[in-house]
Amino acid sequence: MTLIAELERTAAGLTAALTDAASAAEAESLRNAYLGRKGELAALMSRLPELPADERPAFGKAANAVKERLNRLLEERLAAFKAEVDNASLSRFDPSMPGRMPERGSLHPLTLVLEEICRILNNLGFETVDGPEAETDFHNFEALNFPRDHPARDMQDTLFLADGLLMRTHTSPMQVRAMLERKKPPVAVIAPGKVYRRDYDQTHSPMFHQVEGLLVDEGVGLAHLRGVLTHLLRELFGPDVTLRFRPSFFPFTEPSVEVDMSCVICRGSGSRADGKGGKETCRVCKGTGWLEILGAGMVDPAVFAAVGFSPACTGFAFGMGVERIAMLKYGIDDLRLFFENDLRFLGRFVK
Amino acid sequence: MLLSLNWLREFLPYEGSAESLGDRLTMAGLETENILRPYAALKPVVTGLVAECAKHPAADKLSVCRVDVGDEVLDIVCGAPNVAAGQKTAVIRAGCTLPGGQKVSKAVLRGAPSNGMICSERELGFSDEHNGILVLDPAVPVGKSLPDALGLDDEVLDISVTPNRGDCLSVFGLALETAALTGLLPTVPGYERFSGGADAASEVALTVEDEDLCPLYHGLIIEGLTVAPSPLKLRCRLNAVGVRPLSNLVDATNYVLMELGQPLHAFDLDRIRGGRISVRAADEGEVFTSLDGKERVLTAADITIRDAEGVICLGGVMGGLNSEISTGTRRVFLESAVFHPGAVRRTARRLGLHSEASYRFERGVDREGATPALERAAHLLAALAGGRVRPGLIKKAAKTPPPCSVHFHRAYAERLLGATLDARFCEKALRSLGCTVRDASGGLRAGEENIALEWDVTPPARRPDLTRQADLAEEIVRIYGMDRIPARLPGIARDLARSGQPESKNVFLHRIKHWGRQAGLNEIIAYSFAGGRELDALGLPREERVPVLNPMSEDMDVLRPALIPGLLGALRNNLAQGAPSVRLFETAAVFLGLCPKPRRDSVPDPEAPSPSLPGETLSPETSQDAFRASVVREEARLGIILHGARASAVWPALPGDLDYLDLKGLIEHLLLELALPAADFVLAGGDAPGYYLPGVDIILQGTRIGRAGRVKEAVAERSHAKKEVWCAELNLDILYGLHITTAVRAVPLPVFPPVRRDITFVAPRGTRAGDIAALAEAMKGRIDTEIRLADCYEPEGTDARNLTFRLTFRRADRTLKDAEADRQLGLFAESVRKTLNVAVQQVEG
Repeated sequence: MTLIAELERTAAGLTAALTDAASAAEAESLRNAYLGRKGELAALMSRLPELPADERPAFGKAANAVKERLNRLLEERLAAFKAEVDNASLSRFDPSMPGRMPERGSLHPLTLVLEEICRILNNLGFETVDGPEAETDFHNFEALNFPRDHPARDMQDTLFLADGLLMRTHTSPMQVRAMLERKKPPVAVIAPGKVYRRDYDQTHSPMFHQVEGLLVDEGVGLAHLRGVLTHLLRELFGPDVTLRFRPSFFPFTEPSVEVDMSCVICRGSGSRADGKGGKETCRVCKGTGWLEILGAGMVDPAVFAAVGFSPACTGFAFGMGVERIAMLKYGIDDLRLFFENDLRFLGRFVK
Repeated sequence: MLLSLNWLREFLPYEGSAESLGDRLTMAGLETENILRPYAALKPVVTGLVAECAKHPAADKLSVCRVDVGDEVLDIVCGAPNVAAGQKTAVIRAGCTLPGGQKVSKAVLRGAPSNGMICSERELGFSDEHNGILVLDPAVPVGKSLPDALGLDDEVLDISVTPNRGDCLSVFGLALETAALTGLLPTVPGYERFSGGADAASEVALTVEDEDLCPLYHGLIIEGLTVAPSPLKLRCRLNAVGVRPLSNLVDATNYVLMELGQPLHAFDLDRIRGGRISVRAADEGEVFTSLDGKERVLTAADITIRDAEGVICLGGVMGGLNSEISTGTRRVFLESAVFHPGAVRRTARRLGLHSEASYRFERGVDREGATPALERAAHLLAALAGGRVRPGLIKKAAKTPPPCSVHFHRAYAERLLGATLDARFCEKALRSLGCTVRDASGGLRAGEENIALEWDVTPPARRPDLTRQADLAEEIVRIYGMDRIPARLPGIARDLARSGQPESKNVFLHRIKHWGRQAGLNEIIAYSFAGGRELDALGLPREERVPVLNPMSEDMDVLRPALIPGLLGALRNNLAQGAPSVRLFETAAVFLGLCPKPRRDSVPDPEAPSPSLPGETLSPETSQDAFRASVVREEARLGIILHGARASAVWPALPGDLDYLDLKGLIEHLLLELALPAADFVLAGGDAPGYYLPGVDIILQGTRIGRAGRVKEAVAERSHAKKEVWCAELNLDILYGLHITTAVRAVPLPVFPPVRRDITFVAPRGTRAGDIAALAEAMKGRIDTEIRLADCYEPEGTDARNLTFRLTFRRADRTLKDAEADRQLGLFAESVRKTLNVAVQQVEG
């Protein structure tokens, strides 16, 4: 057999062996047997001197071509094995398996809403302050122009502690504290916190949350109050919100304002689609198109007198119920859910 | 306040609808909450003529009637004793529904057919009268709907009147208000005068001892009266505005009360002893029987009206049984007075006696209106009960205080409102409210138009709430339209002196809350109240508690001295819902009482000046606060509760139930998050809360920052917990103080490589891992030594634990040699053996 013929036979041998190889490792072992330094191809090449000198270049060329071809075959076969392995692992991979989640915590929806309100007002320049929940009559009532034996005290049914202390009925004592501490304008504070009233039924909780806002500075007027509240409520409920100002009465503001917001459900129209092509009265605003959202007003001169501010001062104050805002924002229809602390409820709120 | 539109129209030519009036009043600060049509339900009732009436052949008490109702004649069996042929009556046909919701159906009563019902006053909702049918005026046409026939097409506005607007608690007051808002001209009624002459004054000698308590007391005598029910129309009108008709004498005073806002009281003159009436404060402890038959013990703060022998009326609050109008009353002393608002309020609150009269006195009644109201009522009373008013007003009144004058700058109002106000508009608005307005600009004039910049304004006597510029500005903006105020964002000035403050408490609390969320805990908010009994069961000391004097219920009668009640409550709620894994946290204040006080049995008058308040002056807020701090201490806390499966997922998940290490790990994590050093966790001593077993004190730099522990099974069971309940409470005030004073500094990173060695000890029961680690920490010198527990294995059948620690040795100045590390390790093992008597099992490295 000629050397050339042997070359071809070797090539055929490796091709067949590669086809028979069952694994990448087997194929890899053929590389040594055929193409290695001591492999069959190398053995044939070492017999080159047996050939006449004029045949040697042709044989060398043929041997190189065979080597190249075999190398390619081998790589292809190895790649095929690799692809098989990849395929196998892909078929084992199940992207639908449940993930290994870190335990998910949650913030109470009232915390989320409080934070949001504070963020919006902090950005306008209001500073957040705090104060005690068990208050003196002075801070909760007297300094806020609720004289003893005045019927205005009926507006806030109070829980009393010993020695004349009481549970604060609103966040307003914190505005008194802020003014006393700062001694003179400007004062721009917000005061979030728990407040307490002696009231307990479907729509009243003995403990609830308020945010108080107070701005006392030169030239502050009712228009600024409207500006700040419009900004706040639009940030909370969207750019279409409009406000309605109605006169009201609070002992610590004069003029006093009851603020209504265009209904966030029916967008102020008073009715909504009933799902049957018709319209029905909006249940949230009871068809009025307006939602009572907060009370506010210009700080009463008597409050300035109580904290030692000049009677020439002007300023506004407002106080809003956080539960009310949260109920509207998240569509919660039962106040009691806030304090039952059911995980199925708590876990829903992420923003 | 219920306002009848028909009644209003007697004073004001208002032609608009109830709805538009309601809207206008609402936008002026008198919120209309509802519009009622009190007699709309009477539509199906018709007027009928009893054409025939005969005894029922088979029943003594029944009559068989034929009643003409216009388009037909109905057979009706009637049980009323007063039914008779020829009467005009109110009839309802079978198949229709009465106002009370009762449906009338066809019936056969002992053989006689009945196709309708002749109605009594009670069935029509007019009164409680049920002894007979209502007999109508013979002039009433037959076959008409009853509300039309009687003019009962009234609409009633339910208006929420704010406490500053006592002047709006009457039909006339609201007519004046509506006039100001609409520009309509009100009819100011003129009443017959009885003040001339002194005939009556000889009958009753009047003294008022305290003009502060009673600045005005007027009376008239009406004689020759006959007590009877009032005419139907008057009764219907009272009924429509929520006043129960009683008799002509009482109805007349109530009618005038509702119409003019002046409370009146009628005494039976023949029961006033000694011909004397005096007004003065009660004697302390005096006993008085009020109209409702109850005995009341009076205090010196109550206003009494007395005759020669004693109290006959609690001024402004309630009359006495001893001088009450009765069916036999012939002569009446009619009182119209003004009482001190605060005194009336104190008495009404203390005795729980709130009436239409006390409601108005508390809010202040118009002195100037007292006499016209008295004359109006006397006239009405005489007209209704056939009597005669004795001429001559019996009167005592303090000097009228000078009218309040307010110097009003238009510029102030414009600044306060942030709106430009037309001078003529302001003037007109104030005048429309009854103010006297005088230009006080002097020579100052703006521009050429002669427009005033300042005025002297005298509000009408009925508006005692208008005393300052701000009050007048509010009146102007009410008329102007509060909703027309534009919206402008202010530029908020900040005080540079307040820059650079440490992180606020609020921000810190939010930091804690966000940590909790990210640590996989769910935030709860629980009530600040707890039940004393619940706290007893938890073994929380009684002397530290702050009781609520007027709690809503027994389970809310104390302010919580710890967060655990709320945490356990939330756990119970969630276990009831079948939650497999509960991990909750709360940040809130707890309340600790400082001086042990005896629990008061009854709620004292909460508005009485507190005897223990230091001083009565308002100014020194510091003493107020010092006082507050001496009674109750508020402490901010973080509470954590863990129960159930470590992982809320079923697969893939960490196995096991939440335990002490989970709880401790959370606390350690929090301290790292707050840049605070590690705390020591030591078994709590005898003063630990009784509900923990074991209980652990958490000590940071020598201060106890909180407590943790496993909630005792007996306690946990009450929350229906089947597994271990682990709980911790940390003092956030202390953590806040530490956090804001802690600075975070970078440290140079080590340059030379460390040498690590693992060492396993066989630690008998009672040996604490922390004690072993502490010995390594104590060895720190030139060779830096770090120690971490790497494994803990409890071989079965032994009492010991195999504790494997990983030690990391390092030098800061050069590479540590293996031999040096081994020597260090040997020293450590020796120290553990000598100090703790714990043997080494194995060393690796």
